[in-house]
Amino acid sequence: MSLLEFFQRHQREILQATWEHVWLVGLTMIFAIAIGVPLGILVTRKPWLSKPILGSANVAETIPSLALFGFLLPVPWLGGRADRLAIVALTLYALLPIIRNTSAGIANVDRAVREAARGMGMTDGQILFQVELPLSVPTMLAGIRIATVLTIGIATIAAAVGAGGLGEFIFRGLAMVNDQLILAGAIPAALLALGADFVLGLVQHGLRPVR
Amino acid sequence: MPARTTHKDASQPVIEFRNVHFSLSGRQLLNDVSLTVAQGETLVLLGRSGAGKTTALKMINRLLAPTQGEVLVEGRATTEWDPIALRRRIGYVIQDVGLFPHYTVAQNIALIPKLEGWPGERVGSRVKEMLETVGLHGGKFEQRYPSQLSGGQRQRVGVARALAADPEILLMDEPFGALDPMTRGEIQNEFKALEGRLKKTVVIVTHDVGEALVLGTRIGLMEAGRIARIYSPHDFVHASDPMAAAYMAQLRVYDEAKREK
Amino acid sequence: MRLRRTRGTGALLCLVALFAGCGEREKGIVVGSKNFSEQALLGEILAQHIEARTHQPVTRRFYLAGSYICQQALLAGRIDTYVEYTGTALTAILHDPIEKESSAVFTRVQSEYKRRFQLEVLPSLGFNNTFAIVIRGEDARRLNLKTISDAAAYTPEWRAGFGYEFMERPDGYPGLANTYGLRFAESPRILDLGLLYRALLEKQVDLVAGNSTDGLISARDLVILQDDKHYFPPYDAVPVIRGETVARHPEVRAAILELGGKISDQEMQKMNYEVDGEHRDATEVAREFLKAKGLD
Repeated sequence: MSLLEFFQRHQREILQATWEHVWLVGLTMIFAIAIGVPLGILVTRKPWLSKPILGSANVAETIPSLALFGFLLPVPWLGGRADRLAIVALTLYALLPIIRNTSAGIANVDRAVREAARGMGMTDGQILFQVELPLSVPTMLAGIRIATVLTIGIATIAAAVGAGGLGEFIFRGLAMVNDQLILAGAIPAALLALGADFVLGLVQHGLRPVR
Repeated sequence: MPARTTHKDASQPVIEFRNVHFSLSGRQLLNDVSLTVAQGETLVLLGRSGAGKTTALKMINRLLAPTQGEVLVEGRATTEWDPIALRRRIGYVIQDVGLFPHYTVAQNIALIPKLEGWPGERVGSRVKEMLETVGLHGGKFEQRYPSQLSGGQRQRVGVARALAADPEILLMDEPFGALDPMTRGEIQNEFKALEGRLKKTVVIVTHDVGEALVLGTRIGLMEAGRIARIYSPHDFVHASDPMAAAYMAQLRVYDEAKREK
Repeated sequence: MRLRRTRGTGALLCLVALFAGCGEREKGIVVGSKNFSEQALLGEILAQHIEARTHQPVTRRFYLAGSYICQQALLAGRIDTYVEYTGTALTAILHDPIEKESSAVFTRVQSEYKRRFQLEVLPSLGFNNTFAIVIRGEDARRLNLKTISDAAAYTPEWRAGFGYEFMERPDGYPGLANTYGLRFAESPRILDLGLLYRALLEKQVDLVAGNSTDGLISARDLVILQDDKHYFPPYDAVPVIRGETVARHPEVRAAILELGGKISDQEMQKMNYEVDGEHRDATEVAREFLKAKGLD
């Protein structure tokens, strides 16, 4: 059977696994943004937190993903459900680019703009939401884009601890020494990553500053 | 000549510094500064870089607070005011203007009125009024973005924005410093006329003697964190003390160089 | 800076649509299996029988890397059923201490799986894939050996061959030697699992520890000694099925129940040999089995 026929024959399972993968990545990105953006903002408000926060995120990034999944297995609430475990680990991975880009985006707002805003009597909250965040959108989006593509890749490893997704095809294919199975996982994963990168690139382009 | 000339209005000064000291990281930036600014006055703080002019200015809208002494605005210490309420009553113009790049000219000017909850129509007409006031006529500026304006136009929008909510007090920190001399001269004259009409209390920081003479009703010469002396423009021109004289000499050199050409 | 609202949000909506559009589809029944041929065979038998009885399409998700992965897949609903071994369920999934009595283990696994995971454990398929002490058929007949206790008398004259894991596990060789009072002429040889039976047949060793359903056992003249002292824990092959699946598709449960007790140790050995030894396709072997049993 050719690869194309294989894909056609198993298209339902492949789509199913793709949906599982998208779900893993989607939830992860929602959490990572919900946690990472506020942390990024916090770092700009309290600079002394920059080292511990960015440092921790950096450490999480440095641990090999498979090892991180393994570390979390014995944790009671997490180890019991592999998808929970995977989402926690994947979120930790996605945090660094998001925190870093959020804080950098805000820090790079023109000093004069910030001073004028403050001097005119805008509260810290108004400055954050009306000035700093809107001006940081491009940088933040770049971080989100990086984090998404990263997460799609690492999520394939999540199958090793039972979280499903496209990585499962890859691992099964390896166990059965079956190339077609491996590709059934690898190709959609690569396409997902490229697709997400492309779409987020469009969003970035659409929201770019006017010059 | 006494160090202080009393002004016509004998009631409470709008701005008052009482023995203000300010230090930061071990450096003394303001050293026992005392002055008053009466309603309708334009006080120009003149001095070299590092003299403490901007620091003093920032005391007024509480971007900085004194380490000793107090600054009173409308009779109340800045430290007693709610900082947001204080700043909303004071127009603030800085050298780099700091227009929001992601807002149109109209949105920039409308900023404080909107924050103060003015009804939409009033905001709209006020924006148009302000643009006319600062000399940006024709209604084609409203939808432009700051990046699409020239330096002089940006500066004018900055002033419009500062005046939009009709504050009693206007603070300006080297507002025209970034402009070329031609534009600067134009704007200074226009501003002078505006001053006359608006009757606000203005404090301007500059290191440009010419500007001080054109715009100020009083000139406060600052050096090393202190007020050396406060002059009327006339007195400043004919001053005999070394510092003022040096400034005037500089101005004459410039004048002569111009004439020689 | 202008936020190009229309273009930006348009692209964002595409992303959301992609996310939502690859929606959860009704996926039919999914049968899983672990990653060795016996499991693939069992999975195939289950799948084909369910298809025959319920006329619903069955998706196969075989060669999942182990008990934990299969358990997670069950819990998350990625598979509806797979075949587990009672001993493994007890220790690796429930983390309970091992017990020796087969029905006690089964009862415990069944009740705990229901209570903790809402998973239903169905009666055994009929065989027990536990450790097997294997000797040559000629020796068994010559010395009239049926149980490990019988053989204990002769072991001082024999050489043993074990896999590395069996040597190291406390419930492997050390416990075995203790329970039966086994002593060997020399210390046991440690061999690769794949070479154990060859060494036994070529008389390099006289006794090995394999799995009771290994294919070669039925294909060659080899005999499993009975574990009369019940040293080895039971690993009865039981189908595990999601409670939700049982509720939504009771006919699937009924179909799997029909397979209860239908596969003996020998029959499993034979099928394993056809796949591992003769390299036949597991799907074919499974189909033949079902036909022979009149279950197709």
